[in-house]
Amino acid sequence: MGKPRMYFFWLLIVVLMLSGCSSNSSNSNQKTLTLWYWNRGLDDKLIQAVQKQFPDVRINAQKIGGDFKSKLKTTLAAGSNGPDIVAFNDWVTELFPSADRFYDLYELGAKDIEADYLDWKWQMGVTPEGKMIAMPIDTGPTALFYREDLFSKAGLPTDPEEVHEQMGTWEDYFKAGAKLQQAFDGKVKLTDNIGGIYTQVNAQSDKIYFDKKDDFIGESSDSSMKKAWDLAVQASQMGLVANTNTFSSEWNAATNNGKIASFVGAVWCKQILMDAAPDTAGKWRVARAPGGDGNNGGSFLAIMKTSKQPKEAFEVMKWLMNPENQVTAFKDINLFPSATKALDAPVMKEKEDFFGGQSTGDIFTESARNVKPAYFGSKYANLNGIVSRELQSVALGKNPDAAWDAALKRVKKELLR
Amino acid sequence: MGEPLRQPLEPHHPYPVPAKRKLSSEIWKHRKEYLAISPFYLLFAVFGLFPILFSMYLSFQKWDGIGVMTFNGVNNYRFMLTDPEFWKAVGNTLLIWIYSTIPMLFSALVVAFLLNASFVKFRTFFRIGYFLPNVTSLVAVSIVFSTIFSNNYGLLNYIFTSFGLDPVEWLNHTWGIQLAVSFMVIWRWVGYNAVIYLAGLQSIPSVLYEAAKIDGASGIQSFFRITLPNLRPIILFTVITSTIGGMQIFTEPQVLVGNDGGANGGGLTIVLYLYREAFINNYFGYGSAVGWGMFVLIALFSIFNWKVVQGKGTL
Amino acid sequence: MIRSKNVLLYAGLIAGLIVSVFPFYWLAVMATRTTPEIYSFPPKLWFGTHLFDNISRVFESINFFRTLLNTLFVATASTILVLFFDSLAGYTFAKFTFPGKKWLFVLLLATMMAPAQLSLVPSFVIMAKFGWVGSFKALIIPGMANAFGIFWIRQYAEDSVPSELLDAGKIDGCGFFRLYWNISLPILRPALSFLGAFTFIGAWNDYLWPLIILTDERKFTLQVALASLNGIYTTDYSLVIAGTLLAVIPLIIMFLFISKQFISDIAAGAIKS
Repeated sequence: MGKPRMYFFWLLIVVLMLSGCSSNSSNSNQKTLTLWYWNRGLDDKLIQAVQKQFPDVRINAQKIGGDFKSKLKTTLAAGSNGPDIVAFNDWVTELFPSADRFYDLYELGAKDIEADYLDWKWQMGVTPEGKMIAMPIDTGPTALFYREDLFSKAGLPTDPEEVHEQMGTWEDYFKAGAKLQQAFDGKVKLTDNIGGIYTQVNAQSDKIYFDKKDDFIGESSDSSMKKAWDLAVQASQMGLVANTNTFSSEWNAATNNGKIASFVGAVWCKQILMDAAPDTAGKWRVARAPGGDGNNGGSFLAIMKTSKQPKEAFEVMKWLMNPENQVTAFKDINLFPSATKALDAPVMKEKEDFFGGQSTGDIFTESARNVKPAYFGSKYANLNGIVSRELQSVALGKNPDAAWDAALKRVKKELLR
Repeated sequence: MGEPLRQPLEPHHPYPVPAKRKLSSEIWKHRKEYLAISPFYLLFAVFGLFPILFSMYLSFQKWDGIGVMTFNGVNNYRFMLTDPEFWKAVGNTLLIWIYSTIPMLFSALVVAFLLNASFVKFRTFFRIGYFLPNVTSLVAVSIVFSTIFSNNYGLLNYIFTSFGLDPVEWLNHTWGIQLAVSFMVIWRWVGYNAVIYLAGLQSIPSVLYEAAKIDGASGIQSFFRITLPNLRPIILFTVITSTIGGMQIFTEPQVLVGNDGGANGGGLTIVLYLYREAFINNYFGYGSAVGWGMFVLIALFSIFNWKVVQGKGTL
Repeated sequence: MIRSKNVLLYAGLIAGLIVSVFPFYWLAVMATRTTPEIYSFPPKLWFGTHLFDNISRVFESINFFRTLLNTLFVATASTILVLFFDSLAGYTFAKFTFPGKKWLFVLLLATMMAPAQLSLVPSFVIMAKFGWVGSFKALIIPGMANAFGIFWIRQYAEDSVPSELLDAGKIDGCGFFRLYWNISLPILRPALSFLGAFTFIGAWNDYLWPLIILTDERKFTLQVALASLNGIYTTDYSLVIAGTLLAVIPLIIMFLFISKQFISDIAAGAIKS
């Protein structure tokens, strides 16, 4: 009986001693740059190449998974122990009120390279006061993904150009959808879910919830908010949506089993679709989206104010994101370029078997060139959450007018917080 | 003039001093006991107290987590008490607690009783099997359960349809979401609670049962007269910890239906609401207020449950 | 009569066992499949052929063995410290009276009721002040005496450590610490086994706090490293599931060894009488 307890006692002593002493980090002449990003957010091969390109720099690249934002926000709130370079997703706009926590990249020389990038994407990292807090990584131009075989059986056009011509507007797209669903006795749905339409209509717009003074514009006629709402409701009431949440296991099964004939999505949906629906390989095509070109997603790099090597950090970022390396990243991990020159690269025109030999790059590069610069405002996600929740309840049977009133009321309450 | 002043002072004087000496000597006498429990309170003073005071302060501030804090009075609390979503979250949390905790503790007790019975064979094997769910990380659990409860293409609906039944769109209904979350909780914690009860059952001396047998008590009689009373501290432990844990349920609904709580917010629990408001919508001050509102709810609910289990309300 | 009752009983136990174990089976099945196969409907219910492929991709993506060692260290250290401090405090609460005991205990319970998400930011601030950001100390020290374990040991010790035995020990000249170490700890063994297993599992699977506090990839724990496998737009589930399975296997093995300890030795029962 006594022996195990003695072992336990000695272990206790050892542990106390071990946790008391701290390991010393090795010093070297190199400058260490810490980088926070996420899996497939940057090309790992390029990050490794940074060491060769910049012999004085040791890059400590950390993939932070899952709760990236929680980690970043906790670190920002505490005001210390952050990285030098940090990646943002399209929530970059939430950080505009705290622009002073990041280096103004214009002051580090970003003006010189501004012309190399898509203007609308570049502007997403610039605050209304003209400070540039984040630099483009990739973009998410949107287009219509559709099943060529199902469109054909329903007597709809199948060629991407014709599809775009005949379904140039959302209304036409819905009309075609009604025809398609009739042809399949309602066993196939035109598209995946109500929220998808709302998101995509707004993604095509340059005026959504806020103007550059951060005043709410959702009720003015040139905002897309009500238009997107009405279109989403219309699709739902015409019975065109399958109520499968985007990229859920539900969505995966429905696309693979041919229950969903089309959806508007960003270029990065390609990989998801290919994983989710291998049985439908060769049957999908991509056309310019109804309602116009848009952007959904896409990320950025920024330098934290706590960094002691902003110049080195900027040089590394500049190199990582130069047009040639964007082409490499596209080849390696399908990051869609934000540099205009990279959009012209031959690799963008490669034919893809999954899309029946179509070169979808043609569609997406064209879409990427036509996105309108939009300002999102720091409360974009809050408002989007409120509206999406109400929209979801419409899909489950709530009266659309009542839901719209409730959403607007809640939005106004939110704006006062 | 001096006399009326003296009057009330007089009876005070002789008492406080000896009482004080008595208390301090009492404390000195028990210094080893205090030393034994001190690590927790020291750690709490160093690591726990500041976060609590900070969040108390924060609940009266407006703060996006990065910028400047501004004093917000009781506005956070007012917003909380008038926000229908907060009350929905409270209701959801209580419902999920009821759906999950009662069946969970009951089945755990039954399982523990069976695994303690000498006539059951392969007890070690069963014990391991039942405790296994508690070993897994929630990431694994979430992936598995979202494929099980998926609306049309989940495993559960696959089974339903192969028996000729209609598929159920679990995650499109408030009750479906709450049922699915409750099932995840039950699945994960039955074995855990059973092991706790088992430890408690083991510590009941077998002589008590033998004596009862000699007195002619039946199995059920000895369960109610010996097992339950002797198990009461352990039952109390499971009730209180599952009250606290149940009120703080977060990861299960988050992984199953996302930060919005799914269809009509059926899976929106209090902590999920807190997390959404603080970390997603950037209202850190408000999040703290919700945390305190929640603390009060948990405390009241725990006291209630303590009284129910303990009967007389003693510690 | 007794037989049919037994059959029913075993049927119930086995049904419960199947429900408990099935998700593991399914996790294992998914780990042997490609991502598209995981998505497929009707679901693939039997093992596939991609296990080694998935596992080797896990090893390529993360430094599995280093993170395993890190996790092992953090979990072991936490468990040993928790067992010591919690058992000492819990037993003291159960078996001794001293002024203020009731309110100290109420305070202890109250600390369990604040949601952890609330203290994320201020706790990080404290760690930054101590210079503990990035260090295992931040994972081990704050939780080494916790309310949960003290509460548990107190509840267990209340009835199972006989006061008469402690009195006898005192008469024999045992000091406070000897009463704890030589007399009470052996009786508390089943409770300690449970607390140890639970603490170890908790530390092993802990995710959000390590994610936030660890700043050096060489110090990442398993769950933090596994989370890094999630992509921004797409997640390769076959990879994530294979990694998750690898992370849970050591826990199951540990549990196989420790589970015997859950059953108290007859000696403890004998002491009681």
